[in-house]
Amino acid sequence: MGPGLAGYIIRRLLWAIPVLFLISITVFAMLRLAPGSPIDAILGQRYTEEQAAVLRDKYGYDDPLPVQYVKYIGNLAQGDLGVSTRHRDFTASEIIWPKIWISTQLGLIALVIVFGLGIPVGVYAAMARGTFIDPLTIAFWLAIEAIPTFVLVTLTSWFFALKLGVIDLGYEGVWTPNMTVPVLVMSLPGVAGVARFMRASVIGVLGEDYIRTARAKGLKEQTIVLTHITRNALLPMITVIGLSLPGITTGSLFVEVGFGIPGIANESLQAVLAPDYDVILALVLFGATLFVLANVAIDILYGFIDPRVRVGAGRGQ
Amino acid sequence: MASETTVPVLLPEPELAPPRRFRTLRDLLRKKIALLAIAYLAIFYACGLLAPFIAPYGLNDQQLTVETRLQPPSADHLLGTDRLGRDMLTRVLYSARTTVVFTIVIVISGGLFLGLGLGLLAGYRGGWVDTAIMRTGEVLSGMPTLILMLAITASFRGRINSWSFWLEDHTFLGDDSKTLVKFTIISLATVPFAWLGSSRIVRSQVLAIREQAYVTAAESLGATTPRILIRHVLPGVMPLFLVGLSSGMAGIAGAEVALSYLGLGIDEPAASFGNLIGDVNGTRFFEQYPYLLVAGAGPVILFLFSWNLLGDALVDVFDRRQNSHR
Repeated sequence: MGPGLAGYIIRRLLWAIPVLFLISITVFAMLRLAPGSPIDAILGQRYTEEQAAVLRDKYGYDDPLPVQYVKYIGNLAQGDLGVSTRHRDFTASEIIWPKIWISTQLGLIALVIVFGLGIPVGVYAAMARGTFIDPLTIAFWLAIEAIPTFVLVTLTSWFFALKLGVIDLGYEGVWTPNMTVPVLVMSLPGVAGVARFMRASVIGVLGEDYIRTARAKGLKEQTIVLTHITRNALLPMITVIGLSLPGITTGSLFVEVGFGIPGIANESLQAVLAPDYDVILALVLFGATLFVLANVAIDILYGFIDPRVRVGAGRGQ
Repeated sequence: MASETTVPVLLPEPELAPPRRFRTLRDLLRKKIALLAIAYLAIFYACGLLAPFIAPYGLNDQQLTVETRLQPPSADHLLGTDRLGRDMLTRVLYSARTTVVFTIVIVISGGLFLGLGLGLLAGYRGGWVDTAIMRTGEVLSGMPTLILMLAITASFRGRINSWSFWLEDHTFLGDDSKTLVKFTIISLATVPFAWLGSSRIVRSQVLAIREQAYVTAAESLGATTPRILIRHVLPGVMPLFLVGLSSGMAGIAGAEVALSYLGLGIDEPAASFGNLIGDVNGTRFFEQYPYLLVAGAGPVILFLFSWNLLGDALVDVFDRRQNSHR
């Protein structure tokens, strides 16, 4: 890890700061300037001006917007994400972290399934290229991808809960049999993307000289596919896996709503509709930060795995 | 990269390349799939654009009697009727119109204008302009897109009435104002995310083309930047840009369907697939009236599937062409 890499990482992280500021200002302004406020959500249809004034004062909504923003950022710098107005007497942190944890566990299981299925499917399709099996395999998964999640939710919950009666639709915890169907609904549409990427990667490797050498040495086809082709084709996959890691924390909105999972996507929808200013901001900034970090992490990881692409060495900047 | 001269060919060729007849069969099937996809898309777009002329009934012709509500498909109503006794085929055609217009609007604003424009700018100007555009795009693509779209649509939601009343009073739009306002809002929510993929593709293409001798030659001859971009860089960028655009189409169309399903996009009295699907409320309702979901979801699933297939086929064809250049 030379000085070039360190400098590159620092530059990347420094660039993230203005971008994050821009995002926070935009979302902040958008929320505050929109009609409808948390006050309406708290007090309901009828309330007196005095009641509203007390609450506006409590949450500081009477201050000019720039003052509110500076206060928010000041608190944020001390790790205070603000308060939830939808769940009164709870801070935004108390609301989001447990829900993020629920969604992340489900997302992680789904991620394992997506790549666990997508990679073999991609290798299989690539090895079968030249036959009709290849396009049909890819087309099958593209068809699954084309079904909107909320349609899949309706179809699967009807089939598995109503028709077969093998699952209940209630949420009883992440690691319960009831979560099998939601996790499948989350993961199956993603298989096509991974499979297509893997297929292209394998086809790229197939043209390399060392594959020809391996064949010439008379190695078993199985050995060639597993150790020579798949392993090398997996290298570009690191980016895809890395970039999809932050996504698992956000949860799948339609799956969480459809199967009644109290995850973060469900909460996000409620927070947006309420509106619950601080919770929305916390979620957006959390997602953006995580993504920036993941991007930098991938760059570093790449440098370790494949020295040829070590950044800073050949960038000529 | 695999040059024929350095490695002596030890194996007979058929071992390396798949047998010829399979390849032709596969190419044929590939092409057939792509052709089918194109054919379906053409029909879909034609139906969408011509919806008011070919729809058998009016969009909101209600027939609120027991015999006319929630009827299965029949000769009178080819796709059945919904809970207000409206013809489903008509609603599907008008939903197609929503999807068609939406995809066209987003392709022009998000794809052509922002994607191509910002990609060209980033690739050709380089420096901090490039960094600013690409980093912004990077972070935006990592955001929980749907949630942000929801935030945008929800924050405009309270203004729909005042804006559409203003339009009704001051323009010729009349009853369509509300739909136009809603349409504008979901477009505003989608566009910020619609340029991300295509601008990245365009930028990397521009970076490669910029180094070509003919671009340097044009520069040294004193050609203006717009001229170089349009005459020399753009033609090289277009093929991959179109490939990227077609791969992103399903996502764009899906965004409108999802927002409308949640009731934050296009809704009554206009029609959207998201709305038709949302009408099938719950599994019990689906069990009783499955044809409503089939009619409402089927056409749009095929539409998204066709774009997926076409995008995949284009990427494949392009990959192969690039490989044969090496």
